[in-house]
Amino acid sequence: MSAFLVANIAPLMFAALVIVLLIGYPVAFALGAVGIGFGILGIELGLLRPELLQALPERIFGVMANDTLLAVPFFTFMGLILERSGMAEDLLDTIGQLFGPIRGGLGYAVIFVGALLAATTGVVAASVISMGLISLPIMLRYGYDRRLASGVIAASGTLAQIIPPSLVLIIMADQLGRSVGDMYAGAFVPGFILALLYVAYVIGVSVVKPRWAPALPAEARTLREADGSSGNRSLVVLTVLAAAASVGFWKFYYNVHAPDTATDERIVICLLVAVGGAFLAAVLNKLLRLNLLSRIAERVTFVLIPPLALIFLVLGTIFLGVATPTEGGAMGATGALIMALSRRRLSFPLLKQAMNTTAKLSTFVVFILIGARVFSLTFYGVNGHVWVEHLLTSLPGGQLGFLIVVNALIFVLAFFLDFFELAFIIIPLVGPVAEKLGVDLVWFGVLLAVNMQTSFMHPPFGFALFYLRSVAPAKEFLDRVTGRRTAPVTTGQIYWGAVPFVLIQVVMVGLIIAFPDLVSGGLATREKVDIRNIRIEIPIDKGATGGGPSGSNFEQDNATKALERAMRGDTAGETSEDPDDAAKALERAIGAGKAADAPPATK
Amino acid sequence: MNALLAVSRLIDDITERIGRTVLWLVLVAVLISAANATVRKIFNYSSNSYLEIQWYLFSLIFLFCAGYTLKHNEHVRIDIISGHLSGRARAAIDIFGTLFFLLPMAILVMWLSWPVFIDAWDRHEVSTNAGGLIIWPARLMVPVGFFLLVVQAISELIKRIAFLKGMIPDPGERHVTKTAEEELAEEILRGRGERAIAEEIERIATGKDAQS
Repeated sequence: MSAFLVANIAPLMFAALVIVLLIGYPVAFALGAVGIGFGILGIELGLLRPELLQALPERIFGVMANDTLLAVPFFTFMGLILERSGMAEDLLDTIGQLFGPIRGGLGYAVIFVGALLAATTGVVAASVISMGLISLPIMLRYGYDRRLASGVIAASGTLAQIIPPSLVLIIMADQLGRSVGDMYAGAFVPGFILALLYVAYVIGVSVVKPRWAPALPAEARTLREADGSSGNRSLVVLTVLAAAASVGFWKFYYNVHAPDTATDERIVICLLVAVGGAFLAAVLNKLLRLNLLSRIAERVTFVLIPPLALIFLVLGTIFLGVATPTEGGAMGATGALIMALSRRRLSFPLLKQAMNTTAKLSTFVVFILIGARVFSLTFYGVNGHVWVEHLLTSLPGGQLGFLIVVNALIFVLAFFLDFFELAFIIIPLVGPVAEKLGVDLVWFGVLLAVNMQTSFMHPPFGFALFYLRSVAPAKEFLDRVTGRRTAPVTTGQIYWGAVPFVLIQVVMVGLIIAFPDLVSGGLATREKVDIRNIRIEIPIDKGATGGGPSGSNFEQDNATKALERAMRGDTAGETSEDPDDAAKALERAIGAGKAADAPPATK
Repeated sequence: MNALLAVSRLIDDITERIGRTVLWLVLVAVLISAANATVRKIFNYSSNSYLEIQWYLFSLIFLFCAGYTLKHNEHVRIDIISGHLSGRARAAIDIFGTLFFLLPMAILVMWLSWPVFIDAWDRHEVSTNAGGLIIWPARLMVPVGFFLLVVQAISELIKRIAFLKGMIPDPGERHVTKTAEEELAEEILRGRGERAIAEEIERIATGKDAQS
């Protein structure tokens, strides 16, 4: 019996985890209990040293002193304030009017707004609810196919998961030991392509089945000129002028005065010039009553400014290297607070609710991580990572075989698990194997993030579908504008509507594997760090911490981080070590009994 | 049993107060972090203590809200199986899980982290970062946070047992008040003056909650 246990403890531990998770008790505690239970079993069997569990407090301190995770509450809080600021409603109304008169136009509007909200730190639930309440009724009124309408809304809502700044990417960066900035830069192009694929699908539908995505009749548009014309020409002129200003700035400022500037900084600043120029034009037009702009042009400019300003505040400062991703989140949250205040949408109960939700979300996320760290303490101790590595490296097809199997696994698990569980349980197991196989971990993280996005769209458990169901009309209703009886949206229609978008997601995963350059292609991925931002610290040789000769682990952990920051300063962002590597190495050493003289965590 | 229920109510009350106080730290942490980034850029001044205070606050939030989150039943579960079970079966699962998963883990962590705090206190341990903060408050948060979690878990245990005895309604039912999503939906609808649909939504939403 015990011989069998000793030989198979890692697979048994994994099997026990699956069973315990399926019972339905909170994941965090189930994970931790399996770790501790098997830790005690391993000590009894002589596989692990009794000091192993002493490392528990250090594991928790490692989670506490983690700057990356701090971004989770900041971005969550920002999203919660923003979703109640009325920005999404304004955008959907205006962009819907703009694109509505073309075939499939409301679909494009939903995708565009979905992507824009995603780039300001979208929350999937909030995007889906706003679109489901504002765009869906209009789509139903003018005869859009119900499956197409619900699918495009659910899918556009999930763009928040892949377009930076997103929680998925933060946690992915943390788990894979890469910088959040690199992960953001890498995910930008794939997120953008994904939105384009959605657009391509809507175009395809409007060509093959024009009746599924009709153009809105002229009377549906309320923003028009006094003489009845659309006013689009004015918007086109304004767009062209703004683009010209941007290109001009690039050519005449950067190429002449500052040719050394990095590409991403140029892009950020030139976009700022374009947007600022358009805004200035609209403000001047309004104040001086020039009447040069049509109503739609003015309206579009004004509704686009708040989200674009927030995007600059968060992503712009991160890409320029002015703020760390964590600070970017805090700046964005402050910006969202100011915006909500200025629109008189920030009430005391709302603030309290946002803080309440943020605190509880951060708590359960961090506790899953703590549970996962307790689990991995034992799992690494019994060489479970070697078992997983052996399983995955013995697959046929080498790197490609590994990627296909891991993606298939995550795709299937995404039907049952949400991304927090996937990220904390699966990623630490497959990440080291990927690295060993020579896979770039930023690329790998973005790839898996695209894959995990499907977990929001999978029928029947996908969150996006759940929230859409909660706001879509479930019974026949009288349309307010046309006065016609309108059929409800059935649950089956919502599920079937999501299927094409899940397939698009699979196509995107395939595209990233086929064309790895899509991730961080074009943009310079190097994170610029201002030398003044570097904290003064005492660098301690990293190699020495593995054997654990001196000091407490807590200090070693800090020392590792210090070294890491110092390295980041020297090599401009090319850090490659997990901040907790030293702690992990020490635990492994204790577990394997290689460092008999390693001090226990406590004295 | 009634005495135990009184204890449970007292614990719930304390947990609620602690949670509602601690959640303000979210706002404090946001403002400190944003101010720190701005000041560093504009006035070129920074101190490690401002960076460290942020993770101190964050740690306070998630450690002291662990029990609060448990009370509100918001620790994530995988409910593909338990979602189809009766309220009584789920209460039984919770009793089992609390006794064999949560309590052993939380008590062990509490037990092991206390000497670490004592050590930091005795040695006046200070962060290795220049200008860093003293470390013992961070060390103390762990045993205290896990203690609060253990206490709340005991309250949950009492409530589940009382429910199985038929003394109180199902404590596992969530959403006594509206969720943030429901409020968002209502606000959008209010803005559009579509009251009729709002009532419809509420009906659907409450129907959903009764199932889950």
